[in-house]
Amino acid sequence: MTDAAAAAADATAASPKGRSLFEATEIHKQFGGIQAVRGATMEVEEGSITALIGPNGAGKTTFFNLITGFYRPDRGKAVFDGREIQSRPPYVIARMGMVRTFQITKALAAMPVIDNMMLAAPDQPGERFTNIVFRPLGWRKREAEVHEQAIELLDVFNLAKLAEEYAGTLSGGQRKLLELARALMAQPRFLLLDEPMAGINPTLGRRLLDHMQRLRSEDGVTFLFIEHDMEVVMNHSDRVIVMAEGQVIADGEPHEVRSDKAVIDAYLGGGGGTATGAGAS
Amino acid sequence: MTDPTQIFQLALTFEAFTDIQFWTSVGIIAGIFVIFATGLQLNVGFTGIQNFGQVGFMAIGAYTMAILTAESGWNFWLSLPVAIAAAIAFGLIIGLPSLRLRADYFAIVTIAAAEAIRIVALNARDLTNGPQGVFGFADSWNSVSDSIEEFIVDLGWTDVPSQFPLFLVTWGLAIGLMFAFSRMTRTPWGRVLRAVREDEDAARALGKNAFSYKLQSLALAATTGAIAGFLFALNLKFVVPDEFQPLVTFTGYAVLILGGLANYWGVALGSIVLWSVLEGLRFLELPLSETKIAALRFMILGFVLIGLMAFRPQGFFGNRKEMVLGD
Repeated sequence: MTDAAAAAADATAASPKGRSLFEATEIHKQFGGIQAVRGATMEVEEGSITALIGPNGAGKTTFFNLITGFYRPDRGKAVFDGREIQSRPPYVIARMGMVRTFQITKALAAMPVIDNMMLAAPDQPGERFTNIVFRPLGWRKREAEVHEQAIELLDVFNLAKLAEEYAGTLSGGQRKLLELARALMAQPRFLLLDEPMAGINPTLGRRLLDHMQRLRSEDGVTFLFIEHDMEVVMNHSDRVIVMAEGQVIADGEPHEVRSDKAVIDAYLGGGGGTATGAGAS
Repeated sequence: MTDPTQIFQLALTFEAFTDIQFWTSVGIIAGIFVIFATGLQLNVGFTGIQNFGQVGFMAIGAYTMAILTAESGWNFWLSLPVAIAAAIAFGLIIGLPSLRLRADYFAIVTIAAAEAIRIVALNARDLTNGPQGVFGFADSWNSVSDSIEEFIVDLGWTDVPSQFPLFLVTWGLAIGLMFAFSRMTRTPWGRVLRAVREDEDAARALGKNAFSYKLQSLALAATTGAIAGFLFALNLKFVVPDEFQPLVTFTGYAVLILGGLANYWGVALGSIVLWSVLEGLRFLELPLSETKIAALRFMILGFVLIGLMAFRPQGFFGNRKEMVLGD
């Protein structure tokens, strides 16, 4: 009895409420006349699996681009692990441990799968030109480690036998898995996935979700993922953040969000007169 | 009436293949273009940046070396690293603002930058002597060339072509550079370059500073351009603006296409084939005037390139799979 209580207390201590790994405050971005993101504010707790949902055009992917340095916000602040990141370039943000994937996969098509993986590994001295000139073999040891890690990870995603194939020969689903595996090679602390399940068969999708859970519990990786599959969102995330028209309109546990009126309106009605109709249904 | 045997005599004469003086000079040009295209290969084949201004780096290398040596009285050997540094600096100056542009805009910027160099060389007469060009920078090289020649004569080959030492040095450098560049591209550094070629955003999302790698690639291309420029200048013994037309860059691209992208040995074979065909066709004996034959050489080269595109688009050594998937 007391043991169980202690374990429960430990569990809550391990994922303390309020220790936020990432915070975005009032992020704005305008493209021409379109206000794509208008004051999005959110927090992501360390060690959580947080889903980011919202109707098409809500600004979810734009928001991802804004917080990973691919776009520069017009206004607003983004903080990762206590450091402001809103004006930093993507590669710096990635090196800090905040790694993203893309909605439309970016497999490096004319490179073998294994090279896609090994590319992502951090701390490879052989990526510096001065090192390959002055210490021509200094990178071999790290390369061997990275190769081993890459094969292990590919194995998790059923891609090990394709290691030497060009990434461009992979199917859409396999590319999606490769992109996730590649992002994991970068040893992220915070992983942002843009529709990771789209185009993956359910068996592999489950494997991917299991792996996310394992990474969270074993390595303490935090996840923020954009997803349209409500079954996945409701059953596999700790928290759900809902965006609509460039703003965060709801934020809470899956069951809270599911019954939130604003969310239902956003999904079914849009603004104005139709909202009441949708609320009623 | 024409003698029918004469018409069928269009076959190449035997002397065409034994004229060692002639083939030495073809070999030098081919070797210079290997060096020239080695940097292009790094840019186009490995980094995916469309550098159309390679001749500009060649011009800067050749002019800096020639002016420092002949007009400012510098030591020839000291002028070489300075000329390479000048070419790299120029590469960074055009790369910094324009490498962020899309590939096709970058191509336009580089072609314009190279033309700007040539036109400055043509008009800044106080510095470059304008169309008369710069002479008298080759003394140090000539003495080295003489000792190489003596050494070969000592080995027992008495009628060494006068350009043979330059041939040896050119190919020594060409092979050395190809070897170094192909080693470099097989390191993790080269892997990042290929990732930038495939998808810059993916590389950036994985923590790679794509812009810095593109600049590094351009700086290395500038280095090979400058080295090709030295050899070009030593071959001609003078440096004039007219030798640095955009056509030189395009010829470099023809070498790349012939040899295949993302392969350094392809560059060597491409250059040898291109220049052997182009120069070897001088020996064609046709009942035509010389100017017509000169035009015909380029037509035949054009057909060779078209045929290659049709039947072997990846070039001699290019990787077809990589080419198709890369799109």
